[in-house]
Amino acid sequence: MMRAISRIKPLQGVAVSLIAAWLVCLPFVSTTTELRQHTQVIIAVLAVLGVNIATGYGGMISLGHGVFVGVGAFATGYFVDGFSLPWLLAISMGIVTASLAGALVGIPALRIKGIHLALLTLCMAIVFQPLSKRFPAFTGGVSGKAIEARFEAPSWLGDSRMASAVYRYVFCILVVLFALGLTWNLVNSRAGRAMRALRDNDTAAAIYGINLVHARVVTFSISAGLAGLAGALQVVLVPYVSQDNYTVQESLVIYATAVIGGLGSIWGSVLGVIARTGFGALGERLSGMEGFGFVSEFFELLDEQAFVFGVGLIALTFVFPRGLAGIRRKNRQQTNS
Amino acid sequence: MDYVLLLQRIFDALFNSAIYSSLALALVIIFRATGLLNFAQGEMATFSGYIAFVFLVGPQPRLKGGGLAGLIPGVPLSVPLAVMGAVLAGMAVGAATERVLIRPLRNAPELSLVNVSIGLLLVINSLMAQWWGTGPRVFPALFPAGAGQNFNIFGARLRYSTIGVWALLFVVLVCLILLLKKTRIGLAFRAVSINQTNSELVGIPVGRVLMYGWALAAGFGALAACICANSVLLEPNMMLRVLVYAFAAATLGGLDSPKGALVGGVIVGLSQTLIPAYVPFIGFELSVLPVLIAMTVVLLVRPAGLYGTKRIERV
Repeated sequence: MMRAISRIKPLQGVAVSLIAAWLVCLPFVSTTTELRQHTQVIIAVLAVLGVNIATGYGGMISLGHGVFVGVGAFATGYFVDGFSLPWLLAISMGIVTASLAGALVGIPALRIKGIHLALLTLCMAIVFQPLSKRFPAFTGGVSGKAIEARFEAPSWLGDSRMASAVYRYVFCILVVLFALGLTWNLVNSRAGRAMRALRDNDTAAAIYGINLVHARVVTFSISAGLAGLAGALQVVLVPYVSQDNYTVQESLVIYATAVIGGLGSIWGSVLGVIARTGFGALGERLSGMEGFGFVSEFFELLDEQAFVFGVGLIALTFVFPRGLAGIRRKNRQQTNS
Repeated sequence: MDYVLLLQRIFDALFNSAIYSSLALALVIIFRATGLLNFAQGEMATFSGYIAFVFLVGPQPRLKGGGLAGLIPGVPLSVPLAVMGAVLAGMAVGAATERVLIRPLRNAPELSLVNVSIGLLLVINSLMAQWWGTGPRVFPALFPAGAGQNFNIFGARLRYSTIGVWALLFVVLVCLILLLKKTRIGLAFRAVSINQTNSELVGIPVGRVLMYGWALAAGFGALAACICANSVLLEPNMMLRVLVYAFAAATLGGLDSPKGALVGGVIVGLSQTLIPAYVPFIGFELSVLPVLIAMTVVLLVRPAGLYGTKRIERV
């Protein structure tokens, strides 16, 4: 861990302190609703990180991580209400369920690679929404389902709505930081090296004694578990689950965020979510503007996350194939050659 | 077992089969030539469907939608003309996509191509939602599909529209085969599909030929969308589920085999209707599940599908 910390570069240090300062200031300057929205943004890092683990480190393209977010949310809601489990346990069950679902996808991923895996996960993302309507006991069917249990602040914090909002905010930040730390350690450990080895050349990895079956399935379950955790925290924030939230577009935007941030870099996932939020805010500002004729139409589009991320995905593939986190790396490579 | 009902279900399924076969053909044409699965094929098709809709509706701004669509001349056309116009427009979009987005990435890794097609899917999908709204639009039937407009075969009704759609597909296929077997450009396309490097060496303009391939594929997609828009109503996400079935059809038949796409489309269409009908647990919503599982199994056990060529991987 010490070595990992000493590896942080000055620019990253500045960025991290800026983000930290922003996170500390947030609860003092926002209303409960705003705070909830900000927390949702922070949670989104987890799902993006999940895609990054599978695609960036494991080399398995996953276009369907929205499914695992959904599974995590549905499972958490089901366990916290149906079994009256305490929240922490229910969240863990959400993660476990999503990981199991991920392992299920990981098993075919042993043989199905590259574009075919992308195809399979995309199909999964497309059918998840209609399928989840079929199991109303878990998902609340078409209209969704409210969760009875509430994630409230302990009584010594007071029982105002703000206290609960701040409590959830801090809880989510701690969980996300913990997950980021774990992932950081994971990708820099023996298991992480195994992942990257099988991404770059699985035959060579197998020759070096890496158990491909084990490594692939574990990688995919970890990545699905992270997405599931994002889903579980969504339920913590808003006690309501609905299949409406898990559209294909959502899955693809998660994927796009991971790619735009930069695959194969944990920092990239954070950057991607920051870019997503920045664009979201910009789009919201611009979309209200009238009187630019044809340009106003275009501004309206900027409010559509799917549009912005589609364009971003295409543009970045051409300009910075390594994503935002790789801009500097790419330049360095060019000067070397 | 009620054989009349079985026959009726098969007849009904054949209509959807035509849609799946058509879109699967679009996917296969591109995969065969470039090894790329075009995830945006469904959205490109839906877009052509909207273009047909604009041609049909004519000068009614409220229905026609905003954005760039406002620039399309609003002259109400008859159904066949509108569909032809949409197919041509779709082909132009397909060709432009190849030229602008795909050709510069010829030597890029697979992931880049996946990213571009996913980006395209998102962009076209949100453009359509923006211009025409997310509400479903009524689209006229290409062939008479009303009550009583059918043949009666052993007590089961075979609708004119089913026959018409298959006849249309058949004519288009004959044209495609003639194009591929009898013309110079078809020969070039076949050569490029087999080996790009060697085609380039004998002086075939590979880029331009691939552009024609994309146009052809987009044309088949547009046709699928126009057939489909009547039965499921035209809306931005119309082709997403259809795309799953089409991918399943293409995988089942072999991703690089046009014949496989046709057969796969029929199989998928039949199983989509017959399996929920005879296995009560699988209701309408789960009807996609057996198809998806079949696709996974095919990819696992026999990636070449029914008619595809086996890939030999160099270790």
